[in-house]
Amino acid sequence: MLSFIGKKLLQMIPMLLLISFIVFGGLQLMDIDPISYMVTPDMAASAENQEALREQLGLNDPFVVRYFNWVKDLLTGNFGYSIINGTSIANIVRTRLPATFELAIIALILSSVIGIGIGILSAIRQNGIIDYVGRVFAVLGQSIPQFFFGICMVQIFAIKLGWLPVNGRTSPGASGLGDAIVHLVLPVLTMTVAMCAVLMRYSRNTMLDVLNSDYIKTARSKGIPEWKVYIKHGFRNAMRPVLVILCFRLPMLIGGSVVIESVFGWPGIGSIITQSVVSGDYPVIMVTTLMVAAAILVASFLVDVLTAALDPRVRLGE
Amino acid sequence: MNNNMDYVLDVKNLSTSFISDRKEIRIVKNVSLRLRRGTTLAVVGESGCGKSVTVHSIVKLMPKNAKVSADHVIYRSAKDGKEYRLDQMEPFGTEMRKLRGAEIGMVFQDPMSSLNPVYKVGDQVAEGLIQHTGMSKAEAQKQVLDMFRKLGIPDPESRISDFPHQFSGGMKQRVVIAIAMICNPDIIIADEPTTALDVTIQAQIMELMKSLQVNDHKSIILITHNMGLVAEMADEVCVMYMGRVMEFGSLEDIFENPSHPYTQALLRSVPVLGLAEGQELGTIPGITPNPADLGPGCEFADRCPFCQDRCRQKDIPRFEVSPGHYVRCLKFDSFQEVD
Amino acid sequence: MSSQTSVFEQANKKHASSLLRKNIRKFVNNRLAMIGLICVVVIVFTAVFAPLLTSYDPNKISLGEKNTSPCMEHLLGTDNLGRDVFARVLYGGRVSVFVSVMGALMGSLVGMVLGSMAGYFGGKLDMLLVRLSEIFQTFPEMILIMILVAILGQGVGNLVLVFCITGWMTTFRMVRNEFLALRGETYVQVCEAFGMPKAAIMFKQILPNVLSPVIVSATVNVAGFILSEASLSFLGVGVPSSVPTWGNILNAAKSVEVVSNYWWLWAVPGGVISIFVLAINFFGDGLRDVLDPKQQ
Repeated sequence: MLSFIGKKLLQMIPMLLLISFIVFGGLQLMDIDPISYMVTPDMAASAENQEALREQLGLNDPFVVRYFNWVKDLLTGNFGYSIINGTSIANIVRTRLPATFELAIIALILSSVIGIGIGILSAIRQNGIIDYVGRVFAVLGQSIPQFFFGICMVQIFAIKLGWLPVNGRTSPGASGLGDAIVHLVLPVLTMTVAMCAVLMRYSRNTMLDVLNSDYIKTARSKGIPEWKVYIKHGFRNAMRPVLVILCFRLPMLIGGSVVIESVFGWPGIGSIITQSVVSGDYPVIMVTTLMVAAAILVASFLVDVLTAALDPRVRLGE
Repeated sequence: MNNNMDYVLDVKNLSTSFISDRKEIRIVKNVSLRLRRGTTLAVVGESGCGKSVTVHSIVKLMPKNAKVSADHVIYRSAKDGKEYRLDQMEPFGTEMRKLRGAEIGMVFQDPMSSLNPVYKVGDQVAEGLIQHTGMSKAEAQKQVLDMFRKLGIPDPESRISDFPHQFSGGMKQRVVIAIAMICNPDIIIADEPTTALDVTIQAQIMELMKSLQVNDHKSIILITHNMGLVAEMADEVCVMYMGRVMEFGSLEDIFENPSHPYTQALLRSVPVLGLAEGQELGTIPGITPNPADLGPGCEFADRCPFCQDRCRQKDIPRFEVSPGHYVRCLKFDSFQEVD
Repeated sequence: MSSQTSVFEQANKKHASSLLRKNIRKFVNNRLAMIGLICVVVIVFTAVFAPLLTSYDPNKISLGEKNTSPCMEHLLGTDNLGRDVFARVLYGGRVSVFVSVMGALMGSLVGMVLGSMAGYFGGKLDMLLVRLSEIFQTFPEMILIMILVAILGQGVGNLVLVFCITGWMTTFRMVRNEFLALRGETYVQVCEAFGMPKAAIMFKQILPNVLSPVIVSATVNVAGFILSEASLSFLGVGVPSSVPTWGNILNAAKSVEVVSNYWWLWAVPGGVISIFVLAINFFGDGLRDVLDPKQQ
């Protein structure tokens, strides 16, 4: 098992290099003077300064050398600077990431528990009341635009009823847990509803497939109680594909949900991505892309490890 | 009533229908059969004739859209000498579950998919035993080892902690048989146990089952479409077509004196080694009808060379052509009609 | 021999037409699917015949009438520039539906071609394409779309291209898997032995077997792209704001002032999008029941 994990970890390195190479190449193609995002704007102010800097930063070096220098910079935490307002990207990430993480992890946990729970229950009681309500809910959740649902929530709970704040992560001047929680309710609710719908549908269908398989019949033929059939034989097998889907949600913890962060004015990475796309802030786009890509690699590593842990066929080789 | 104990399973007028698209389709119609203790009853017929549905209805392992009814389904236990009315039990209630696995074991068609891929085979076999006897895991493992030895699984001490995917098809089916046998049930229901296996493995598995019946005095219901297997294994034979028992009798009755036109056609279509030159293998003309489109009367009428108008008018009764040999065909209406 | 084949052909035709009739009956009996189909048709019609249904120009600014609430003159009121919302919703449907339908069609086409090649030729090409599709599939969809928009720039044509790039994977997988399964079939080998060109085998002999699920998934993609277009335009990175689309109308709802005071500016287009997507999903589900009963 350990060597398996080690092998998978090593396999991530070439993928990371490849992705960063593509991103770096893209950045070069963008036709922006690298000097504008590699140093703070005041340093790049004067022309002779710029020439000296160019030499010093190795901008006249060949492409490959520049690429490796860039990777070295990334590894040491120097992500470059925004070409729009000159702030350090590392700084942006540092201030924005906690907000995205907070929102995404709560929504992820809630939607997993609710989505998988209802999905499994509706498979067990197929065509029952939970199944019916769940299916209606799932189809609505997949048809109503997330941001529209968010706006409706804002209109009802924040504007009409005035129970909750309209947007933002904190109220100006206020602090404390209570304030943070009231700000979280609506974005978490909106994100959870959207994520639940897919998860519910998926876990229901997976569980139905499992419940129709022959080994469930074998389990029943042993005379064990139904709940044991569902939990021990059904759920355990349905869990694997559902966990895979869950793992691939993890990049959301880094990238956030662009739409929901924008609706609720949530100061996270998602809204930064929107801003940079609108304003053409390529260095920021590239760094955030790289972060999301790295998160995906980590997620797929987790998937490999989890499937191996849960499935003896993978663990013990074909 | 005492001689009734000879029959370990007694099914009277079992009918099953499925609800689909708000329509009710009858799959099994008034099936009556009896399983004599310590013998093998073969249920034969082409695919889709309702053999599997019949036995699954008996042990109540049916999907929710199925409707099962019967005059009675009686299981007579040798262990406590009691009669159990399976037809009056809740499908997944405690009573039924106490019988399933403990008194009635089941072997399914495809060993590849009958075992749960994520658990060790030893644990899967022990599960039923622990459930019914409440013994500890260690004790159960010991019994599983004995069972593996008895069923000829080589190197049982190490194989017991292997996963299903590490077994070959034949070995997997032995594990499935071990699951069925571990609680020492009276009845084993084997639903096409060898269809998914290689021919040589088929023979081994069938020999194994035969020895269980002879040495351990098990009663077996064997579902198959293989007439060769029937000839080797069965004491009594039940021929089904489109959800109905067309003919029921001892092995000799069916093979020496096949009476129903369908049984005759079925036997003609079995390849025999040394088929004489120019002798052709018989085929049954026409195709199996869709159960939803069947009219009244005999289900075989459209494909029967002896079909008459009266065959299509109403359900055909059973006639007893000789003691214990029943045929559902109007050709034999001079014989005693039994319900 | 020939008379026999013609008998078979006739039997086949008879069977096919009865199957078609059975399928149509099955679809018509599915009430939700029928309602979905009717809604889709009605909305598409109103979009196509927009000029007949309203006399307003969706882009005509009249600052004197800004933010009027719905009245007889302006059925659904006007926006902050005095443009008629009813006209904008009708004309907006044209662009939104066009972009998503074109995106879905192009995506399916790319998926079919790549899937056929991967499944038929196998080997390294297959591995490469599968990897590529996995990367595309695991990347959070919205972020991927936005990155592509950032690279390609905004615009109706570019958006179709972006949807095409982000929407080929499901079709690709289905087609590839079917090709893998069918590649070994005897009839394919017979075609190869006859020396039929590879392209003919791929597209004329094998591909028709997967068309049903491809049609279903294209339908579902249309619904997804309507939502994506709306989200993108809402964020201001989709179709340029000068072109009316359902998402662009909703862009106004970014301001709290609009959300609290002028409900018709966001509730109407949002409602239309929801109903349209819901209708397509119902229609797609019905289509799947008929065409592809295996996967539900």
